[in-house]
Amino acid sequence: MNLLHPGARVIDAATGETLTASMVDAAAEELGPGGAVFLPFSTTISDIARYLAALLVGRPVVLLDPDGDNTHWAERFATDDVHPDLALLLTTSGSTGNPKLVRLSAGAVLANARQIADVLDITADDVAITTLPLFYSYGMSVLNSHLLRGATVILERTGIMQRDFWTAAVEHNVTSMAFVPYQYEMLRRLRFDPAKYPALRKLTQAGGRLRAELVTDFADRMATVGGSLYVMYGQTEAAPRMATLPPARLAEKLGSVGLALPGGRFAIAPDGEVVYHGPNVMMGYADTAADLAKGDEMDGVLRTGDLGRLDDEGFLFITGRIKRMGKVFGVRINLDDVEKNFPVTAVAGDDKLTVFALGATDDEARDLRTKISEWLGTHFSGVVVRSIESLPLLPTGKVDYRALEASL
Amino acid sequence: MTELQRLREAFRAALDLPADAPVDDLQYQDNEKWDSLAHMSLIATIEDEFSVMIDTDDVINLSSFAEAVRILGKYGVANLERLDGNE
Repeated sequence: MNLLHPGARVIDAATGETLTASMVDAAAEELGPGGAVFLPFSTTISDIARYLAALLVGRPVVLLDPDGDNTHWAERFATDDVHPDLALLLTTSGSTGNPKLVRLSAGAVLANARQIADVLDITADDVAITTLPLFYSYGMSVLNSHLLRGATVILERTGIMQRDFWTAAVEHNVTSMAFVPYQYEMLRRLRFDPAKYPALRKLTQAGGRLRAELVTDFADRMATVGGSLYVMYGQTEAAPRMATLPPARLAEKLGSVGLALPGGRFAIAPDGEVVYHGPNVMMGYADTAADLAKGDEMDGVLRTGDLGRLDDEGFLFITGRIKRMGKVFGVRINLDDVEKNFPVTAVAGDDKLTVFALGATDDEARDLRTKISEWLGTHFSGVVVRSIESLPLLPTGKVDYRALEASL
Repeated sequence: MTELQRLREAFRAALDLPADAPVDDLQYQDNEKWDSLAHMSLIATIEDEFSVMIDTDDVINLSSFAEAVRILGKYGVANLERLDGNE
């Protein structure tokens, strides 16, 4: 698979270094044939060359956090026997137990890059800037969809809380920025004004639910410069995007995550679960090295684990989760696993984890917060510990999670 | 506690560092705990501690402990100029 349109440019904002086709070729030469490539994916020209090279020569590439301890991945999935359709392997986010890999075919990756480029109307004139790690499915999809259309991607590593990022956005006439909910909270704190970045026209949002107030706020801010906010919905298992809310319908469909991408469709199962059908659905998970040889087990159908409803025009509204999942700063976590590892009752808030600890003192609560956030590998401000005298119970004797959520 | 000590404490609290951790030479992103999330928390902690409202430009310029000292000076927080003091 060649994702790199001949007109696409990748520029490192700090060094000025530019990606060339010969760099990709050289990286491909170096890789040669073999099994999976384990790529701790930093936001650098050389890592992008390696990523594109692996896709080009058809070696499945595992995208890893460059700051993580990655030796166990290479050990667990060491094999030369890989399925010919397999192109990309992404970790399921979260720190729980034994994380799996999501197996994506070249066809699914390419299909999703096209779908995204279509709905966001990405052209060769677009300039994106890195705002998210590239090993994270959202960051990766920004890269893929822009490279495919011959657009420009600016590599920036400091992020939105630093001067260098905003200087690069102006200097390179950035047209598009992608953020997850907590970054929108930060942008509000920074009194983000799109008029300061004359070329900026598109903000995209994924990685969990953004509260309606911020959706309206940022749509309004972008409207003042003739730009738009695109609310999107996806999962790593869908390579990753499934839906986008057309900006023209945003006000009227507030709270919706939008319409299925072109070529995809949603159905609601009898139990209320959102089921996605589309060309971008994964081949399946991988738990062991032997799984990398497996073919497609999904047949283009993904049970999302989310509960939702479709309105008469096909706009999807997510109403809850079947699995007890939460998100902290965009990272998916299994609430049951939190409860297995700590003496707490866990519920999900907007991009935060709240745990209730019976009769905890202030010191115990602080200690729990540190331990849980370390276990999750997240900043401690994403975890809230509340002391509670007794848990609300359902008539069945089970914990009444809805009551706990309502108390947040 | 002096203003300088209060600022050091604010850094340790926001970056979740031990009570005796040296902070005077800290730079954004060179300590793994000082990422964009911690930065938000740091700004909020400094604002609370010194009862100031930090401007957007200063939020994104605050890239080191030394820079925090300089910025707080602008907001009228005195007694921060001596960086050589030990606790």
